[in-house]
Amino acid sequence: MELFRNTHIDFRRYKWICIGISWALIVAGFISIAAHHGLRLGIDFSGGTQIVLKFAQRPDPGKIEGILKPLGLGLEGVQRYDLPEKNEVLIKVKQQAHEGRDITQEILAALSQALGGTVGKLDANQKGHDSIAMAIAPADPDNMAGKPGDEAKQHYAVVGDAIVAYRSQIGLFRSPADFDAIPDVSPAVKAWLKQNATLGPFTMLSADNVGPQVGKDLRSKAMWAIILSTLAMLAYIAIRFDIKFGVGAIVAIIHDTLITIGLLSIFDREITLVVVAAVLTLVGYSMNDTVVVYDRIRENMRSNRRDPLARIINDSINQTLSRTVMSSGLTFLVVVALFFLGGEVLNTFALTLLIGIIVGTYSSIYVAAPIVVIWNEWQEKRRPASVAVKAAPAKGPAGKPRSAGKTGRR
Amino acid sequence: MAQKATGRVLLILAVLLASIAAYVWSGHERVKMDVSGATTPGLKDDLKNGIKLGLDLKGGIHLVLQVQTADAFKIESDEAASRLAEQNKIQELKIGAITPGTPGEFRIAVGPTTDLDKLQETVKKQIPDWEYRREGATWVFQLTSGARKALAEEAVKQAVETIRNRVDQFGVSEPVIAQEGADRIIVQLPGVDDPKRVKDIIKSTAFLELKLVEAGPSTDKTALLAATAGAVPPDAEVVEGRSNEDDPSSPKAYYLVSKAAVVTGRDIKNARPSQDQMNRPAVSFSLKAVGAEKFGNFTGTSIGKRLAIVLDGKVQSAPEIKDRISDSGIINGSFTPERANDLALTLRSGALPAGLVYLEERTVGPSLGLDSIKKGITAALFGALLVFVTMVVYYKRSGFNAVLALLLNAVILLGVLAQFGATLTLPGIAGFILTIGMAVDSNVLIFERIREELREGKSAKTAIENGFSKAFLTIVDTHVTTVVSALFLFQFGTGPVKGFAVTLIVGLCASMFTAVYVSKTIFMLEYGRRERAESVSI
Repeated sequence: MELFRNTHIDFRRYKWICIGISWALIVAGFISIAAHHGLRLGIDFSGGTQIVLKFAQRPDPGKIEGILKPLGLGLEGVQRYDLPEKNEVLIKVKQQAHEGRDITQEILAALSQALGGTVGKLDANQKGHDSIAMAIAPADPDNMAGKPGDEAKQHYAVVGDAIVAYRSQIGLFRSPADFDAIPDVSPAVKAWLKQNATLGPFTMLSADNVGPQVGKDLRSKAMWAIILSTLAMLAYIAIRFDIKFGVGAIVAIIHDTLITIGLLSIFDREITLVVVAAVLTLVGYSMNDTVVVYDRIRENMRSNRRDPLARIINDSINQTLSRTVMSSGLTFLVVVALFFLGGEVLNTFALTLLIGIIVGTYSSIYVAAPIVVIWNEWQEKRRPASVAVKAAPAKGPAGKPRSAGKTGRR
Repeated sequence: MAQKATGRVLLILAVLLASIAAYVWSGHERVKMDVSGATTPGLKDDLKNGIKLGLDLKGGIHLVLQVQTADAFKIESDEAASRLAEQNKIQELKIGAITPGTPGEFRIAVGPTTDLDKLQETVKKQIPDWEYRREGATWVFQLTSGARKALAEEAVKQAVETIRNRVDQFGVSEPVIAQEGADRIIVQLPGVDDPKRVKDIIKSTAFLELKLVEAGPSTDKTALLAATAGAVPPDAEVVEGRSNEDDPSSPKAYYLVSKAAVVTGRDIKNARPSQDQMNRPAVSFSLKAVGAEKFGNFTGTSIGKRLAIVLDGKVQSAPEIKDRISDSGIINGSFTPERANDLALTLRSGALPAGLVYLEERTVGPSLGLDSIKKGITAALFGALLVFVTMVVYYKRSGFNAVLALLLNAVILLGVLAQFGATLTLPGIAGFILTIGMAVDSNVLIFERIREELREGKSAKTAIENGFSKAFLTIVDTHVTTVVSALFLFQFGTGPVKGFAVTLIVGLCASMFTAVYVSKTIFMLEYGRRERAESVSI
């Protein structure tokens, strides 16, 4: 099967439309960011607290807000998380001025008190496996007391593990009858649980608390990592190809990053550390695409010295078109699977990559390559005797000499 | 050519086996270390546990703590001040009041009768880490910056040690406790699902002192000091407690206790949860030889007096000394079983040299981690399947070769990650996807080149040869560009960004090998034997 055989598309014809689309997307992104009063930074960068809880019954965010407001924590909001039938909510609290307050515990305590947890009893939905094991061990329903050494302790540790593992599997215990289904646990333990444990109305899925100092650190470190790695790529391409190629590649990835972040703002997604990783991925991907096109340009420049650079570039894009579409399409498939099947945690990550692959592929053709042409034309204009220059770029591309011989241009 | 291919096949097989062995071995070690495993683990468990999963996938707690190094400075100031006060008495320096300042600073008043020469000499000899400046009739003492640095470093190091001791007692498999920057400590505890308890245990300073009760308890401070003419004697101090030891909600009471402790937490050899005479939860402890001797002498001469058990500056209980006790004791006072257990744990692990503040906490519950990994794996498998099918449909036989190379790429990546004990996190999965994307791309580059060559009418063998050699430089360029940038990300990035970089670097090295070397070997095997291969299935 072959989809693109010997294409001769004149990509230059659509130049202005594409420049228009690029600018429109970038401007739209900036407008969206401005309308949202800046980027929506996740707590990794903004600091603050974020808790995800899973409830037994459909939770009422308004009611939860009512319970938490009086605590004076700087509650930012309570909203539904993931699909409605999962009964999950996300609680967000602003960053505190000082370190030291245990916001998560304050919220959990207030909620379990207000929503009818029994104080003093073991909450089988909230406690961890260690605490559960430690609560069961003194009662010793499995009669391990006579056993030597640590055997009793070990036994109840395994029991605690089994209980929490089952809870994780079903989400949370909804009624005492759920205890009966716990695998690998004796009836005596189940009976003990029914009698002594209460079932709190929720279980905690995740809690993140980022203090002011760390938020600031993460922000600056992520920035520096990105800036330095971009400069490193620029340096490598400048050495392997030419400085104008390097600049073209860097402009292309800046273009990709701006459009992607702009679109994330339009879709109202949060910028978290995971999104930063996704942006880095797309930068790598876009760079990969650009280098493939550049490589072909360099090769064609050697073998067809008489052609104008603009034509060489257009030919090179055509020659690599089949691979560009194949490669991007395949990676796109993986990311589509991630987007639809990856779950809530991976969703924004996958969305960023979806945007990134499209924009990154497009930018290698319409941003990175044209910049080299524009720069080259500008260079030629500055030189009065343009006859000799027309054949090839003034500086021969650096890099190892190759013995590739004839290339595939007809 | 066939001979050359045999050598290549052997090398590839060796890499494949080494990767699988590294993965399984690492999984085996991991399963063995997991304390809670009751059943004997088999190969299936080894395969499941080859790669260490990050907290975002496995569930657990990630904490960033800051050591309050100022606490260590304060202790040092107190000690220097008391040493100076002692010398003041012995050598009759005749200095005035000593007042504490900010941590790492104190002031002494100097009068006309003060023997300044002797004072200077004493300072030089007794507290060499201190420098002073004169402000009229006061000398302001400050810790030298060198001493501050050394103290802070020591405090952080000791805090890391103490936290490690405590964490080791939870039975967490593969905890991470590492210093970061000047005064921060990162603690990662996979699989731990009780954030409150863990945080309390790690943070508790657990500073235990046993002190002689001079007066009290009394709910009223002035009544307490009535016997000592309303002032706290210089060798004693007032400590808070409860009027009823067994009831934490009873009103506050004050004790006048000796300033010097008979024994402290440092003298403790072991501590374990137990029960007191009334079957209530308590903590019993035993003392090291030196402490036991001190304690024995003290209790022997103080029968009938009361001993205050002071924990983190609060009186837990103040039992009467009924007999000479040498090497063991019991602490009680309204504990829950869990609290008794945790107190014993912290006492065993030693006191923290300075307070800790939590800068960052992240808890991923066990069910969320389970959910993410299940969905992540489903999505990745489904995506991979789509890629494989497309490759085979589009490139036929050659597509199948590419699939083999991709699978090998994944196996090598897993093997290397397992070998170096790298952690797989969500951003790591991102790195994995980019790797697979680029590995697919390398194959596509080669195949498209081969097709071009074939279109020009080259023979199958030449087309393959040229296809590989022409795509080679492009593949090197794309890979090196990305690896160079990933190296910077690794060097300057934090946690997740670093995880991304590691997967990417390893993955791309593997991809270079599989796309260029392995794919070519497969082609060599297929088309090399027949001297005149008519066509290529591509």
